Amino acid sequence: MTVSAIEFSRLGPPKLHLYAMRCTACKTLHPWWERYTCGVCRSRELVEERLAGTGELSNYTVVYYPPRDFLGQEPYVVGHITMDEGVLMPAPVVGVAPEDVEVGTRVKAVLRRMKLGHEGDIYYSQKFVVDPNPPKRTAGGRKAAAKK
Amino acid sequence: MRVGVLGIGKTPHKIQHDKSLRDLIVDAGRLAMDDAGVQPTDIQGYYLGNAGCTGFTFENSVALMGADHLGLTPAPAVRVEAACGTGAWALHLGVVAILSGLYDTVLVMGAEKMNDLATVEGTSIIAQAADSKEEYFSGLTFPSGVALTARKYMQVYGCTEEDLAHVSVKNHHYGARNPYAHLRFECTVEEVMRSAKVADPLKLYEVCPMTDAGSALVLCREEILRDQPDKPQVYVTATSMGSGTWYAASDTLDDAYDLLHKPAQKAYAMAGLTPDDMDVAEIYNSFAIQEPLGIESLGFAKQGDGWKGAADGSTWIDGKVGVNLSGGLLCKGHPLGATGTSQAVDVVEQLRGTAPKDIQRKDVEAGISACRGGPGAVAAIHIYQRLEG
Repeated sequence: MTVSAIEFSRLGPPKLHLYAMRCTACKTLHPWWERYTCGVCRSRELVEERLAGTGELSNYTVVYYPPRDFLGQEPYVVGHITMDEGVLMPAPVVGVAPEDVEVGTRVKAVLRRMKLGHEGDIYYSQKFVVDPNPPKRTAGGRKAAAKK
Repeated sequence: MRVGVLGIGKTPHKIQHDKSLRDLIVDAGRLAMDDAGVQPTDIQGYYLGNAGCTGFTFENSVALMGADHLGLTPAPAVRVEAACGTGAWALHLGVVAILSGLYDTVLVMGAEKMNDLATVEGTSIIAQAADSKEEYFSGLTFPSGVALTARKYMQVYGCTEEDLAHVSVKNHHYGARNPYAHLRFECTVEEVMRSAKVADPLKLYEVCPMTDAGSALVLCREEILRDQPDKPQVYVTATSMGSGTWYAASDTLDDAYDLLHKPAQKAYAMAGLTPDDMDVAEIYNSFAIQEPLGIESLGFAKQGDGWKGAADGSTWIDGKVGVNLSGGLLCKGHPLGATGTSQAVDVVEQLRGTAPKDIQRKDVEAGISACRGGPGAVAAIHIYQRLEG
């Protein structure tokens, strides 16, 4: 998500971290921090769950024609990140040249300036960078987490 | 179910700096009413599909504007919006209105004026059809969202960018022969591969242009058309809609398949037909990858095989089913709200035998249109048949 200074006053500090929504009935974890009905079991009881912010780049694209708010940043990388908790999130991947991006790379979330609003208000959100200290691959560890 | 298609009309699809949104609305409406042989006072309801007028031209209640300028008042008029499925939704509502028995004759239209703005503004307006708070304004655009789908499709089903390029080659073969198309040139696999990158792996020739256009249909109760045997006896025999995820994050290949597959199954049952009965299909392909996805969902190929038809000929004009003989959105362009209605008009032309001669398939008796919208959010299937006597 993106959050401006004004929205920050409404939404509060937690929104500067990555959250997903866990269905309390069927335990499905849904991407993003707003979900009012579980798409799997239709339960209305979902709770926020903070994500560790680490994951694996499972897919990516390079954007050459950006929307207005991202003009000048192109070409930039938008990845599908499979978070260690199992949810998939599209987000910008920065600090790596488009031609060097590789599926399977371990990445972690960092809070970055995302764009300027129409009145100069600054929006922040999570972008992903290559994780300099990826966890050692242990049998079943991350797979087990992804199955939740 | 049977709803008569009394008249059709469409404007050219192109950048039309000399035409405003209201010009396109009036042009399309008059063409359809003239073709139907009806007067504005015969129209009892007006459904206008328009997806982005509040952004593209800074107007809003454009169905009311259209009703006034077309002389439809005091008939009720409403603007319909459902992302890229907008025009198909207008058609659905018109069909349902006739089936309800409340109206005898209605005007269904799609119209979009996209080229008063620069591409960057247009891209931003189109991105509003997804979650602008959480997802798309993190730098994602519709082309890049679909690019992720394309890459996953290639990974999972083992096809290459060159394989997918055949889809554009086929569409451009027919688009070049369609005087109403926006992009009228042929291209080769090599030229598709060499075209500018838009959102890797999508290239320019795999992406539809932004287009100004309007298209319309006059629909009527079955008996009204039946009583005019001199008119082409084309009927809508199935309408089936659906919805799916509003998030690129949860739009898997299976979701993309189900989105159109489920309503398509209902539509075939409604018409009492099977995929084998379809002679032509207009399948939403604002990006080339969406054509194979649609081909699979409509049952013309099994999941993962949809890309083969453009290369082996089975989706060309003399193949098992002629897919996007209009040139598809890749060549016709994608005038958001007018896309669903333009698909309908093009299938009806095939059934009437009045499509431009180089893209007219022989002996067309049944056709289908499949429109979709949002990240994976809107599905619209319609089946049309020529039913003489």
